Amino acid sequence: MNRPVYLDYAATTPVDPRVAEAMAKCLTADGEFGNPASTTHDYGDAAGALVEAARARVARSVGAAAAEIIWTSGATEANNLAIFGIAHYYRGDGRHVITARTEHKAVLDPCAELERRGWRVTYLTPDRGGVIDPAHVAAALQPDTVLVSIMHVNNEIGVIQDIAAIGALCAQHERARLHVDAAQSVGKCGVDFARLGMDLMSLSAHKAYGPKGVGALVVSRRGRGARDPAQLAPLHFGGAQERGLRAGTVATHQVVGMGLAFELADESREREAERVSMLRERLWRGLAAQGGALRNGDAERSVPQVLNVSFEDVEGESLLAAVRPQLAVSTGSACTSALAEPSYVLRALGRDDRLSESSLRFGLGRFTTPADIDTAVAVVARALERLRKVSGACGA
Amino acid sequence: MTYSELTLRYFETAPGAGSLSGPGTYRGAAGSRAQGTWVQFDVEVAAGTIGTARFLAFACPHTIAASAWLAEQAPGLSVRPALPVSVADLSERFDVPTAKRGRLLIIEDAWVAAMTAALHR
Repeated sequence: MNRPVYLDYAATTPVDPRVAEAMAKCLTADGEFGNPASTTHDYGDAAGALVEAARARVARSVGAAAAEIIWTSGATEANNLAIFGIAHYYRGDGRHVITARTEHKAVLDPCAELERRGWRVTYLTPDRGGVIDPAHVAAALQPDTVLVSIMHVNNEIGVIQDIAAIGALCAQHERARLHVDAAQSVGKCGVDFARLGMDLMSLSAHKAYGPKGVGALVVSRRGRGARDPAQLAPLHFGGAQERGLRAGTVATHQVVGMGLAFELADESREREAERVSMLRERLWRGLAAQGGALRNGDAERSVPQVLNVSFEDVEGESLLAAVRPQLAVSTGSACTSALAEPSYVLRALGRDDRLSESSLRFGLGRFTTPADIDTAVAVVARALERLRKVSGACGA
Repeated sequence: MTYSELTLRYFETAPGAGSLSGPGTYRGAAGSRAQGTWVQFDVEVAAGTIGTARFLAFACPHTIAASAWLAEQAPGLSVRPALPVSVADLSERFDVPTAKRGRLLIIEDAWVAAMTAALHR
């Protein structure tokens, strides 16, 4: 039986075989299985050297210094470390945070927890294309703002935010540090930590053909204007690993996988962008031809790997159920229970509940072929025709 | 979301999807597209008995499947202002999650509206 066409690369990617091979060499007795923190024997030194090489690879691919990379279990932990770490360290300076309504839950939920603990959080609303106007950030900054957390590439609509402009605003502010969730960025668009003016940046390996369970928080060691580099309060205790910010034995195989995955993704980024852009436009043209298809997010400011489309005159859960046997995609609704909730990202863009629910996110990736795109168009077209007929929206 | 085999079968084939018109046909609808669930039944009635039934549904797979099943069961049933089976029976038959059972009441309302229209012809 054929597996459904995989078009959910924005959720996760398969591990590149070269990455899997490199990781496997860190697991068994004939490989570098030592504890990288063990400095009393060669096993530890060899593993430690691999960890540092991986750190350098990740740093190079995102325009950071190796010493700025803090390994974590993924972007969610990195976001938590950034938000709570800054909030707690600078709690004497201020208790105001700025973020956006379209952030990932891994940012919004920590911000909501800060609110419960007494911080004030300003949630910025994007324009209809999903773009946060830097002027809105400027207007939201207050004397006691200690953190601005804005994602680089949105996970649902693929829109790229103007991080350089927001970074420049934060650099002029006395206290505000800029954290950027860049979990979706690597391999999709250029990431230059230093040039974009970030203080902190969250990364994930499994969105870029690396393993699940590993990521990093990049913490700037540069001062910004008259300010010292950002400081964090740790969330974990029990060891001095990762500059004391993330206690626990570093998983050599995981970080080696992330290092190689990021290097490979960076190397192939430009040619992949060109290839995937053509596939995405082929997909959009095919879907638009079905009628009642509305593209979500500013197409001119999106990464080529993501296409999010709302479909008129179909119910969202039925649309997903109809395509599911042949197509692996994500829906705009969050099925946190038996009842689907409309996508809060699409709602923030001004879509109504129905169009927010009846959206599909197509995530294209390294292994997507033109034949996959043609299959996707055909499957969605059949589903739309059938469901619109059942609902009386067309020719019943 | 996962669905039972029966739910998937009726959702995917949707027997009885469509509408009827003309003398001796009666219509009932309930719910709203804007709220996410809308169901309509058309029945063709002769001498107090349903001859043919059709349905339209802007709804989730459970609701489409249950509506299709009802339309399929309808021929030969006497016209009366009630579902031929209980909402609880429909819920069990199609393994409808508790949180979605309100949608079965929309099916019931649409069905009863069609039956009522036929009774008051």
